[in-house]
Amino acid sequence: MADNEQQVLYFDDIEEGDQAPVKKHRITRTDMVRYAGASGDYMPMHHDEVFAKSIGQPSVFGHGMYSMGLLGAAITDWVGKTSLTKYKVRFSSQTWPDEELRTEVTVKGKTVDGQRHLVDMECRLLNADGDVKVIGEAQAELPARN
Amino acid sequence: MSEESQVDPDLANLIGKPTGKSKVVLERGPVAYFALAVGDKSPIYKDTRAAKAAGLQAIPVPPTFAFAWDTWGKFPEIQPEDDVPQGSAVGEVVGSLMAKGGTILHGEQEFVYHKPAYVGDVLSGEGKVVDAYRKESKGHVMTFVVTEMIWCDDKTGDPVVTSRSNIIHRL
Repeated sequence: MADNEQQVLYFDDIEEGDQAPVKKHRITRTDMVRYAGASGDYMPMHHDEVFAKSIGQPSVFGHGMYSMGLLGAAITDWVGKTSLTKYKVRFSSQTWPDEELRTEVTVKGKTVDGQRHLVDMECRLLNADGDVKVIGEAQAELPARN
Repeated sequence: MSEESQVDPDLANLIGKPTGKSKVVLERGPVAYFALAVGDKSPIYKDTRAAKAAGLQAIPVPPTFAFAWDTWGKFPEIQPEDDVPQGSAVGEVVGSLMAKGGTILHGEQEFVYHKPAYVGDVLSGEGKVVDAYRKESKGHVMTFVVTEMIWCDDKTGDPVVTSRSNIIHRL
């Protein structure tokens, strides 16, 4: 989907096992600095290589909330920007400069709660080797046809 | 693996403790820049025409922006008088743990969205510690502190976002 299109995803049109389009991104040190500025999180291990090495890390590493944000963008690209009702992750491992990250968002179930049509998803951010960076779940309320 | 939960009276006392109040204004520039920083290039976050075309009343905010919005819109003159010491809800708890040394890790993060948040909204948040426990694992003492911040629309009082953070102190 082009960046400037927002197609409406309907409850009726998805099934358990469906997956959101995969979002891939090679994380750079510039991404880490930009996220530090955008979030106000200037913990030095995310932008200061000298500091990161002084505490025994091989290099700077990405903010956990950057990983959650990137994965969140893949979810809202699919379900819509104002559809989420819940989004929760566990931070499993660090992200390192130049790793190719990819999102994986899978529908786990659909429920109708009165007038509300809810979709539960399982979501993960992984690197090219399949190492899990964050794993979690999200729920969206989608419009129904008719 | 030997992993054992411990009951610690100091930690038990932490549960329910307030972590501060805050009032924030959701501003357009920071929202557009935050969206870019998490790799979301949608024009909905920067162009009111794109937001309107998508059927939205205003520019919405990215799903994780709630973790960063008091960096931007927490203006001093609108803060509640009875605020607990300055700093974020998480910061206060983290500070007391770090006095012992060790490392702080963000273990889990959860958001519950009661209604969408939009640029221009003014939100009031109130935080507290909702859980605290300690485990020993692989030779480390791990202290888990779960804080919760509930953000409500300042005009209506309706809840907008609940943010829950599980912060781990590893010694």
